[in-house]
Amino acid sequence: MAEDAKDQPEEPRHGVRGFMEKVRQVTYGMAAHDMTRYALRTRASMEHLFILVTMGDMLGVPILPPYYSMRLLPYVVPQVSTWKRRMLREKDVTDAMF
Amino acid sequence: MAATSTRAVSLAETFRQHPERRYVMFGGKGGLGKTTFSAATGHWLASQGHKVLVFSVDPQASLSDIFQRDIFGKGPVKITENLWAQEIDADQHIKEYQDEIRQKILDMYGMESVPEEIEDYIAAASAEPAMEESAIFDSVVDIVNQGDYDYYIYDLVPLGHALYYLSMAKVYDEWITRITKLREEMREHQEMVARIRREKEVEEDQILAELRFIRDRINTASGILTDRQRTAFFFVLVPEEMILVDTKKAAGLFEAFNVPIAGYIVNRVIPEDLLGEDVPPYLVNRIEMQRKYLSRIRDDFGDQILAEVHEMERDVTGMDMIEKVAARMYGEA
Repeated sequence: MAEDAKDQPEEPRHGVRGFMEKVRQVTYGMAAHDMTRYALRTRASMEHLFILVTMGDMLGVPILPPYYSMRLLPYVVPQVSTWKRRMLREKDVTDAMF
Repeated sequence: MAATSTRAVSLAETFRQHPERRYVMFGGKGGLGKTTFSAATGHWLASQGHKVLVFSVDPQASLSDIFQRDIFGKGPVKITENLWAQEIDADQHIKEYQDEIRQKILDMYGMESVPEEIEDYIAAASAEPAMEESAIFDSVVDIVNQGDYDYYIYDLVPLGHALYYLSMAKVYDEWITRITKLREEMREHQEMVARIRREKEVEEDQILAELRFIRDRINTASGILTDRQRTAFFFVLVPEEMILVDTKKAAGLFEAFNVPIAGYIVNRVIPEDLLGEDVPPYLVNRIEMQRKYLSRIRDDFGDQILAEVHEMERDVTGMDMIEKVAARMYGEA
């Protein structure tokens, strides 16, 4: 996309600096946005994986001794319902979209 | 009693030779005299001027019976000078622990009540058998960490529990190391996002801190059983075939988990000086049988046998009997 921007006809001289600055911002913004989104998605997956390995027995997958997994319980309370939905739902097309 | 005196000194001797020992355990099949020996050893060490805590985590605890005091779930109770006894109420411990977790959830999210889903999990988790073992060993860590005593005599629950816990500890340690790594990777992603968005430092990962805490607890608990310097694990056996076979098997397993075995104590030996006069064949047969297995025990364990204790004339309860057993074990009045 950044290539396209560079290929555009030159703007009047006084505007070039400003324009290039915009391009740089857009490029950076787009790349960074992707990276951020990717990082957050990866992190969310890991978060779910983490809850699975610690709280697995909620879905019938016992892993950590419950005595100690209970120590972690307070920290995952907000994620528990989304995690359950994610882990138990069937895979479909929308998986690729979000 | 004369027959026991030479060997009995050696049990007392092991305590003198290893003053660095702190945790004393008697292991063996149920009903062989673990609690009796725990109480007697506590009494003897206390009489030597050491501050001693004898404690048990067995739900069918028998320290109350042997000391003839109701001490269940009452914390450390003073029995005599320097001697304290404690019976941990595992159920109570679990209940308090659950309440702590509930309170933490309420505090963290300012909730009125714990969400149903979460409450279900707490209830289900507590019904698991592993819950009790973990709770037991975890409360032992609390007792030992306080460090108020010179000796901790741990009246073990039957061997299986200890082995189960040790094998759990091994797996968990590895497992926690791995999820700690996962957690750290998660943190890296979080930090990257923070950098890109030019946010301030991410807050400290409390889960990571909890994981480290859990690993530390598990390692301390299993360390009490496997500390080569400070732990003395004595096997109790009686001169009978089944017990001999089982003890060997158990000793092998314990060695595999690095539990330092300090020696063997033979209990329930019928005194040979009963022979003579008009002895009924029943008793003669029992003595013959014991003689056979005693010689096998001596062949197999040699100088690892630290004491041979005679069958007592009555069951051991109350300080008088405890004193008698201690005298036979340690060869001192």
